[in-house]
This record gives sequence, structure tokens and C-alpha cells, in this order.
Amino acid sequence: MSSTIELASAFIEGAPPGELADVVADVQALTEGDDILSSLSPAFERYNESQLTTVKLPGSSQEVIVSEFNKLEGNRYFDPESQTSFEMDHTTQTASGAQSAPLESQNADLIKSLLKSLAVHAREHYTSCSYGVYPIENDSSVAILLVANRYSPNNYWNGRFRSIYQVPVSSSPTTVTGKIHIDVHYYEDGNVALNTNKPVSVSVPSVSAESIISRIATVERDYQEELNKAFVQMAEGAFKGLRRQLPITRQKVEWEKIGGYRLGQNIQGK
Amino acid sequence: MADAQFDSALDLLRRLNPRDTKKNLQSITSIVPDLTEDLLSSVDQPLEIRRCPQTSRDYLLCDYNRDGDSYRSPWSNEFDPPLEDGTVPSERVRKLEVAANESFDVYRELYYEGGVGSVYFWDLDDGFAGVILLKKGVTPGSQSSGEWDSIHVFEATDRARMSHYKLTSTVILHLANENKALGEMDLSGNMTRQVEADLPVESDASHIANVGRLVEDMELKMRNLLQEVYFGKAKDVVGELRSLAPLSETNRDRATQLEMIKSMQK
Repeated sequence: MSSTIELASAFIEGAPPGELADVVADVQALTEGDDILSSLSPAFERYNESQLTTVKLPGSSQEVIVSEFNKLEGNRYFDPESQTSFEMDHTTQTASGAQSAPLESQNADLIKSLLKSLAVHAREHYTSCSYGVYPIENDSSVAILLVANRYSPNNYWNGRFRSIYQVPVSSSPTTVTGKIHIDVHYYEDGNVALNTNKPVSVSVPSVSAESIISRIATVERDYQEELNKAFVQMAEGAFKGLRRQLPITRQKVEWEKIGGYRLGQNIQGK
Repeated sequence: MADAQFDSALDLLRRLNPRDTKKNLQSITSIVPDLTEDLLSSVDQPLEIRRCPQTSRDYLLCDYNRDGDSYRSPWSNEFDPPLEDGTVPSERVRKLEVAANESFDVYRELYYEGGVGSVYFWDLDDGFAGVILLKKGVTPGSQSSGEWDSIHVFEATDRARMSHYKLTSTVILHLANENKALGEMDLSGNMTRQVEADLPVESDASHIANVGRLVEDMELKMRNLLQEVYFGKAKDVVGELRSLAPLSETNRDRATQLEMIKSMQK
């Protein structure tokens, strides 16, 4: 049974954007009879934290992020923008037990300005997204997270954009390090996935919200331009090199000729 | 419940990363061993290449040329490792198979300019069936790679001076790219399409031409479809997630456009 849990955990953690519930249903059908969900809660927790799952705070319409960076003890997480902490049910992806949680950080002012600048950047480039800025590493750094999801299961596609940055803030200049991930799944009569992983490391002249967010905005723009270029390169390069659209003669195969000549030899000849 | 489990297994494989289909298939069959045979014969995986010891030519492995742990080479008709009583096609169908291998070898050179191909036929009560396999890999740059696997399974059912063909085609396409500015990019997957046709048959040679044309048309259609999904749809979804142009400008442009349309309608 332990190995079934390991294998099922890998399925949970590998669920594409917006399809966790479908994967869970399949896993339950495959492990019929076993009440496996409770044993999978560590996998749900890893999925939620790494995929930057968003949940609605009780009594609010705002979606907040769950990650390793805003984790308190147990299954509680906090959101600096609304100054609220909440209890996360990782399996059902729901939040409860909201409590007031004032932001306690010597960088509270910076975090608030980062949230403001980030909000402007987010509105300009993401139709719908959630973001967060959290004090980390004993208040010596901040984590800046953004996640944008677009789900269109009726059209058989789903997508997720995640960016995860860490910035030491105790001295200037500083460096933004982190990663951008884009995952797209298309599954009409097939299964096609785009997965990207872009490591980021850029220096920022001063520890100010404006210069940090403007640097991040540039990095994300440059990356998207690079990715768009890569689609064209793949189409023109590897894809064309695999199979031609037509033979070099620009004519389809004359099957009677290639088949007929040799077929005569083989079928009658022997 | 077994049918429901089979459907769940297929649904799961359609959702999880297509790059990991082989590993995920192993995991599923380790959880539900009863599904192993059914899944192996209905889930397409990237083809493996083996060298025929008799002819020193490469051929492709799949469930249709497998008997136990041995695989039949289309070039020698022998199993490797050798089998005393391995299942081989009837004499007539083997002759067709040999001819089809030669024809699709020409086809492969014309369209793939390399790669490996194999055709396997087997007898049916009222006709015959077969699978046409094509595989090619490229590495255009040191950090970029591509792999194409075509798997075309067909049945040809005898009718009077006609044959009814049913073709199910899957293309598995893996593309990967990595460099400093881009990071890692992996675009992988598979798509399946089916077609049926009644075509005239004058002699056995007609079968090769009929199947050849069906496969050729299908591959052209699927290549266009893959191009659309991989480089069109996937890129569009990225654009839906993140707008390169500032949304305030896009919205302003859209508002201006609407205003113009309205004023023209007045």
C-alpha cells in the first residue's frame, strides 16, 4: 500500500493547471475501495504550495496565494495585503478560520509599497492574477509571488503562469533571483503540454519598491518575447526538420509507381 | 468496475504530462495490474529502435510485433530473441507486408529524409490489418531537440471488388529547447485522429496504394494540426495568461475602435 500512495502522490503533484479534481477522481477510481485521500494530504500540500494555489478568504471575494513563503505553523498561512491568516484544507483547496494578522516585519513599509507597485504591474499585464509579497529568511529578504490562471475546459485547454522571486533587502544594490514557469495543457483528441522553467537573476540598483518591480516587469516582458521567438524557431527548425510538408519534388507519392514496380517483383517474382 | 477503471486510466494519461506517459503507464499498471494488457495495446508510447541481427537494419518495436518478450523484425520475419513458434502472418499477408515495407521506405525517405520505419501486417478473418510506424529525431542545435513518432493502425475488411479501411493515427511529437535567455522550454504531446474509407481493390497491390494514400493524407492533416496546436494554440494561451502589451493600452485601443464603429454607424 505504501507504494500505491507514492505513485498516487506523484499523480496528484503532476496534475496540470485546473485539472486537479479530475486527476483526484481518476486516482480514486484506480484505487477503488481504499480510502486513499487522507494518506495523500502531504502530496496535496506540496502541490498547493508549489503551484501557488489560490483560495478565497472566508467572507471575501479576493483570492490569496498559498505557498511555502507565507506558511505559519500547521496548515495556517497569512496574507499581508489583507493582514489576515487562515487555515488551509489542502485536499479540498478551501480556506477557513480567518484571523486578523497584522504584518510584523521591519520591512513592513517596503512590503506595502511593493504590493502597490506590483498591483499596477499585475493590472497592466494579467487579466486575472493573484500576487503576494512576504517577509522571509528572518526578515532579511522578501518573496514576491504572482500566479495567473486561465481555465477553459470547455475548449480543452488550461494554463498557468507563475513567477517566484526572492530579494535580499538589507543592503543596496541587491539581486532578484527566482523562476518563471508557464504551463499550458491542451487535450482535445490528444494531450499536448507546454512546460517552461526560466531561472531569473538580475541586479537592482536600490532596494526600493519601484526599482524592484520595474526590473521584474522588464524581466517578464523580455522572457515572453524570448518565448514567442522560441515558438517560431521550433516551428522553423526542429519541426520542419522532422517531417516535410511535401517531398522535395512538391508532389505527393505515386503509390502505384513505387509500390507497383517493386510489388510486381516481390509478389510474383519469388 | 474494470471498464470504469480502464476509462479512468486513459483519462489520467490524457491529463498528466505526455512526456511521462511511459512512467505513468507503469505506475498505473502497478496499482491495477489487471489493466496491463488492455493499456499496453491502447496507449501509444514513443517507439523503440532495435537492430535486426539477420539484416543489420533498424526496425521499430510496438505491441503488434511483440510475442512474449520477443519482437519480430519486418526485414527478416524472425523474432529476437528467437522464438520457435512466434506468431507470423500468413504467406499472402507476409508478401503484402514485405511490399508495404519497401513502399513506406520510399515514403519515409521522401518525407522524413532519414529516420526509421517499420510496417507490420497480420491476418483477420475477413481481411487483414496492419500498423505503419515512422520515427525521426533531430537535434538542430546543441540545446534543442525534436522527436516524431507516427503510429498508424488500420483494418482492411474485404468487400466485393472493394475494401473497407479504418485507420487510427497517432503522432507523438516532443520538442525541447534550452538556452540562457529562454531557460528550459518543453513542448510535448500526442494527437490521435481516425478516418474510414471504401476503396476499390483490383489486386493485392491496390491495398498498398490505398493504405499508402490514406496514411499520406492523414499525416499531412496531422502535421498541419500539430503545427496549429503546438505553435498557434499554445502560444495563444501564453498570451491569454500574460499580455505583452499593457492592458490599459489594449483596452483603450479597443474602446477607440468601438467608438469609431459606432460613429460610422450613425
